[in-house]
Amino acid sequence: MIVCVAVIGQQNNPLFLQSFTQEDDDLKLHHIVHCSLDVIDERVNNPKRSGIAVNEAFLGLLYPTESYKVYGYLTNTKVKFILITADPEVRDADARNFFRKFHVAYVDAVSNPFHVPGKKITSTSFSRKLRSIVDNLGSITTV
Amino acid sequence: MEHYPEELRTPPVMLVSLVGCPDLHPAVTSFLHSENPPMNTLALPEFSKISVLSGKKQKDGNDIGATSTGGILKRDWISKHRTKVPSVVAVFFAMDRVAGNPAQWQQVCTDLDNLKIAIHSRNIKLIVVLVQTSTTDDISEDLMTLLKKRAEIDGKFFVVFGQKDESDIRKSCNRLCGVFSELSNMYYREQVRRIKGRIEKKNISCFELNIRYCFKARTFFAIYWLEALKLYQDGYHTLHEVIKDSKRLPPIQHLVEIKAVAEQFNFKVSTLLLHGGKVAEAIVWFRKHVTTYGQLVGASEVGFLHWEWMSRQYLVFAELLETSSASAPGSVSCFGTPDNPLTEWEFQPAYYYQLSASYLRERKNGLSKSLLASGFSDVADAMDDSLDSVIPSVYVGQFVRLLEQGTVISMLPLNDAEYGCYALSEGKKVQDMFEITALFRRSVESFSSLKASRMSSYCSSRVAKEYFASREFVNSKQLFIGVADLYRQEGWVTLLWESLGYIRECSRELGLLREFIEFSLEMASLPAFSFTGMDIPKNSLEYGPGGAPSLSRRQIIQEEAFMLLKENSGPGDGHSILNLAEGQSIYLEIDPVSPLRTALLASIFFHEQSIKPGSSTSITLALLSQLPCPLEIDRLEVQFNQPECNFTISNAQKKLSALTLEQQGSREEIAPTLTLETNTWMRLTYNIKSEQSGKLECLSVTSKLGPHLTICCRAECPASMEGLPLWKFEDLVETFPSKDPELSFSGQKIIQIQEPEPQIEVSLNASGPALVGEIFTVPILIKSIGHEVNCGELKINIVDARGGGLMSLREIEEPSHNSLDVELLSVSGISDEDDSPRDVENIKKITHSFGVVPVPSLEGWQSWSGKLTIKWHRPKQVMVYVSLRYSPNRMVTAPHKVSVHKSLQIEGKIPLVIDHSFMLPFRRDPLMISMTKPEDESGQMVSLSLNETTILIISARNSCEVPLRLVSVCIELGGDASVSICSVHRIGGNFPEHPLLVPGEEFKAIFSVIPHVESQKLGVGSIHLKWERDSNSLMFGKDTDSCVSIEQKLPDIQVELPSLIVTLDCPPHAVLGEPFTVFVKVQNLTSILQEVKYSVGDSQIFVFSGSHNNATFILPKSEHVVAYKLVPLNSGHQQIPRFTVTSIRYSAGYHSSVSASTIFIFPSEPHLNHDGSSTGLELSAPLSST
Amino acid sequence: MGREVSESCIDALITEMVSSYCNRFYVNKPEVSARRIEAIGYQVGIQLSERYTVERPRFSEHLEAIKFICKEFWSELFKKQIDNLKTNHKGTFVLQDNRFQWLTHMSINASAETTDSSQQEPHSPNSTTLDANLLQATSMHLYFPCGIIRGALSNLGIPCAVSADASNLPACSFVIRIKA
Repeated sequence: MIVCVAVIGQQNNPLFLQSFTQEDDDLKLHHIVHCSLDVIDERVNNPKRSGIAVNEAFLGLLYPTESYKVYGYLTNTKVKFILITADPEVRDADARNFFRKFHVAYVDAVSNPFHVPGKKITSTSFSRKLRSIVDNLGSITTV
Repeated sequence: MEHYPEELRTPPVMLVSLVGCPDLHPAVTSFLHSENPPMNTLALPEFSKISVLSGKKQKDGNDIGATSTGGILKRDWISKHRTKVPSVVAVFFAMDRVAGNPAQWQQVCTDLDNLKIAIHSRNIKLIVVLVQTSTTDDISEDLMTLLKKRAEIDGKFFVVFGQKDESDIRKSCNRLCGVFSELSNMYYREQVRRIKGRIEKKNISCFELNIRYCFKARTFFAIYWLEALKLYQDGYHTLHEVIKDSKRLPPIQHLVEIKAVAEQFNFKVSTLLLHGGKVAEAIVWFRKHVTTYGQLVGASEVGFLHWEWMSRQYLVFAELLETSSASAPGSVSCFGTPDNPLTEWEFQPAYYYQLSASYLRERKNGLSKSLLASGFSDVADAMDDSLDSVIPSVYVGQFVRLLEQGTVISMLPLNDAEYGCYALSEGKKVQDMFEITALFRRSVESFSSLKASRMSSYCSSRVAKEYFASREFVNSKQLFIGVADLYRQEGWVTLLWESLGYIRECSRELGLLREFIEFSLEMASLPAFSFTGMDIPKNSLEYGPGGAPSLSRRQIIQEEAFMLLKENSGPGDGHSILNLAEGQSIYLEIDPVSPLRTALLASIFFHEQSIKPGSSTSITLALLSQLPCPLEIDRLEVQFNQPECNFTISNAQKKLSALTLEQQGSREEIAPTLTLETNTWMRLTYNIKSEQSGKLECLSVTSKLGPHLTICCRAECPASMEGLPLWKFEDLVETFPSKDPELSFSGQKIIQIQEPEPQIEVSLNASGPALVGEIFTVPILIKSIGHEVNCGELKINIVDARGGGLMSLREIEEPSHNSLDVELLSVSGISDEDDSPRDVENIKKITHSFGVVPVPSLEGWQSWSGKLTIKWHRPKQVMVYVSLRYSPNRMVTAPHKVSVHKSLQIEGKIPLVIDHSFMLPFRRDPLMISMTKPEDESGQMVSLSLNETTILIISARNSCEVPLRLVSVCIELGGDASVSICSVHRIGGNFPEHPLLVPGEEFKAIFSVIPHVESQKLGVGSIHLKWERDSNSLMFGKDTDSCVSIEQKLPDIQVELPSLIVTLDCPPHAVLGEPFTVFVKVQNLTSILQEVKYSVGDSQIFVFSGSHNNATFILPKSEHVVAYKLVPLNSGHQQIPRFTVTSIRYSAGYHSSVSASTIFIFPSEPHLNHDGSSTGLELSAPLSST
Repeated sequence: MGREVSESCIDALITEMVSSYCNRFYVNKPEVSARRIEAIGYQVGIQLSERYTVERPRFSEHLEAIKFICKEFWSELFKKQIDNLKTNHKGTFVLQDNRFQWLTHMSINASAETTDSSQQEPHSPNSTTLDANLLQATSMHLYFPCGIIRGALSNLGIPCAVSADASNLPACSFVIRIKA
């Protein structure tokens, strides 16, 4: 089950964060997302240590928390996508697929001429689209 | 990790027992200890103690089947095998006691028998050691055989222990040790085989036993850790099966036991994996371990036990990882990929410390929840007695109640409720807070050393929360402030909100009013809205004392802060320690990096960039606040760097109340209202003027809000204003301080007040171009047309008009030359009134292009003049910049001065172009060998013939625009003047006294050159030419040194002896029809016979006699003359027939040139004055060039 | 997947944008107009770079990003690549498009005439002002593409300044100076 997705801007500022849990644990999710930026920094700044696929957008599993797993994705424009899932195992292809769709949705959202680059994303259609992507992934993993 | 018993923490150790000869025990024990792997010894000094070996057995004897369901693992099992159940017993017999009398032998036999009985059931191995008592002792073979037989042991397990000296003892020990380890291994191997046999016999239905065997089997292996690992893992996996069925114990306790055992297995496995350097595998193992057991929370009333257990797992693993020598991720290539699902942090102990701490917090919460739920505090006392008697049972992870009934002590199992109470009462005793903070602090340090600032901030905020919970507000606040900084920087409003909420509460608790206000304002101005639209999220407790971020919460916070500052809030708030003292007021300063910029921002800009002093312009103050409630400002004070410009703006509605603070004399404006609405610029525009030139800068705007709050904002200008922190990420329409887009982009808070118009005239007068070489004078005139000049200073600067430097790169050949193209020679001033030398002394010429002259004080309408002298070394166009800086007022020593700038472009030109050429005398041509050779293109030098006259023509052309007077032209011979190598004489040229050359006119001077020395390279000397400007065109009185000399070196020449000289002797003119004679003289200057051919071409103009072609020999040093008689047939300038002389030897010839062979034919006899005319005509005829 | 837009629409839109800013909103304030037009380009550049870099590995150095601009980015915008890329290896890049789409409708005749006439006879004052106007109009049209390039590059993490030179139409070169 996907718990939360987030978009983090170039200055590591949150641009979008949506939680899919019933509980009201925004704060906790914020903390998890924020801490995951450390791992992204580490992976991007020490590409040698992090392996061969240096410039791939998908960063893989960032770290496991007590109950969740955090996946990351870094676009060419230094925008980060974070996925928090409660599933113990997410297939690599599923995660990649998810992020690819996420990225397309993001691009559509920021290409809106009324969206000012670098500001938070408040588009409801983006939010809706994400939800459908999330539901989609959920159905895949449960099958 | 420390809470594990030592035997669990360390690898298993073999145990051997020593019996008899107690004096030897220490030596043997210490030797075995130092072995690798070490062996523990159980030393029994006397044989009477051997019951220990068997006595234990009685208890343990009834063996597996019976005790099977008591538990999984016995608590003391490992330690038993370490300290009580030896694998080998070595019995020591002193030689003298064995070999003594029969009674003694009997004793030995009895002892041996007893021992054998004691160790039999456990299959403990036996060694017999015969100790030599004296050096001379001889051991009889018989005795040894007897003893072996008696002990029923193999010969190699019989050891003779010599103790003659140190080395002997050592040797014996070594031998003994070898036997020990062999037997010991044999023993443990047997044990393992036995246990394995049982495991493999599927008749063991009970998983618990299986687990136990795995654990036991492992213990016997001291060395084979890979195998051990497998066994441990087997045991661990079997344990999983047990989880489900629990009939033996009540569910809670069952789980507790399982977890306790799993913990031990996990510990062992992790240790072994790390020991083997398999860090990644250890981590994977551990991950599985915690995910498997992490779900087994168990009953909620003792949930805290689970969290405690989890916390301990993480802590232990962290410690293991930290102490493990194996360094992790060197070989690891890629994190977080399907190939390697591990991540960076999982290799860091800090990660586990942090999780351990988190679980400990969970435990704390769980515990307090459980306590609350059970109402424990009430029943506690009642239960305490019964709980006192609960002790850990013999099995790992089990507890029993000790019941004393008289002298009989029995152990009763607990039911889950009792156990729950027990766990609660135990749990209550532990102070989690210290441990949590310690763990978090540890991870803070590690994470910050890993440069994982966010993770470290997260941990330190957890620490701070713990401090807050335990009311250590100073610590808590300090930590939160550090954390808030990061969140502020990165714009994490929600996280910042949480931290600020805590800080604000800490400030309140600590009674820090000012900080409380600051943090309240910051919180209130955060861009925090509720996400869902509901104002109160369900779980607002999560956010700590700040509450959940929402608009209404922000309003409350703002109002609370302002309430405190209300004049008569006073003691009304009884419980608050935040009280405004009498007369106290809060002063906040907001600079461009302050987080409070969002609360109040002052943007200030002038509408113009510069104005004249005294004229007025507009200035706009634009204030912006993101506070949720409108801000009512009483008064605004605007401060400038020129204090006279300061002014205040008062709120018309509050004017009366503010009267008390008013300063006299300063400008005051009244604004009808000064209310700042959220996110709306309040723009106020006023006129402003300043008399003082220089810059006028707005420094700050101070706002008074009520009697007790003053906020001073550093003025910011739109041109360089940063966006509002945090708010810039919000999806709001951007607003600008000014409605005028141009000002919004470029508005400045600084305006330049111009200098007053200078009332001084500076004039630079210089006529025409400057000429290279002359000392060019540029007169300067400073004339006051109103201003006085005080402390005047004149700066002169010369720069290349084309932007290059004054210095040009020249070839290295002329190093003696000045590399400067233009040079400022001097700057001098002549005062109007007195030409005192004092002025001149002050003159400074600083560099070749820059000079400074002080200008004497001038009163109105006076003037001062000076002059610059500049010399051009090479033609160049330069700009002369002159700037006068003075203060117009004598009285005021004010720093501001007035400047006047003037510039003049002057071109430096070459006055005269000097050229030269060598010429042979007319109709006399030397034939030189060098001419015959093919010409060397590069170093072509003019060749002159030795002792022959050559004509040198010097021409000087006026190349500038002014008429120049030539003063003299001469040639100075170079080198040593005493040795005459060359004589040069002026022989002609048009030469009036001082010829005046108008622009473009050329002057020629003619010299004869006769070289006296034969040379490949002879310096002729240099041309010296003196010139001056024509006095008519000079501005200044005719100066004696206005005469400029130019020196130009003549190129070197080559001098050689000509071999033949051909002279054409021909009259300059002839008369039509009258014959005349032309002689061709060929002079042989060599000392050899020369053969020459000569020929004459035909001509239609002349009829002549003589052979066309001929050849002849000329004797050395003699002359051959050929004569032709010619009759001209036509008049005018005519060419006589071409005459060619060819030297056979040199195959070089002489052809008479056109000019040399042209003569004038008169139609009839002219009437000429013959006196000297022939030479005159000859000279005036055109000269042919060599 | 991309949706297509009529070229002439874009040309007309840009012309209209430039003329609105220059002749209606900020008359006689060419700097402000320029700034506004550049800002529009900047935002467009950011958004386009966001779209065109999807599914593309991250650039590890500046040159890669510049090459991306020259090739893929330019192709997406103009259906052709940049014709020539030069660099001084110190952070300055010159991108030359030999036939820059958005300037193809600019009159080249005027400039061709002036180059010819300069050899024959001195300029009449009328033609020089005409030239100046033309030059200004051209440069106004160039703020938009400059902004696009700057936006795209800054969004890729390369803050820079971009200027353009259209002195020999219809070729146009863009100079990128990367801020250290």
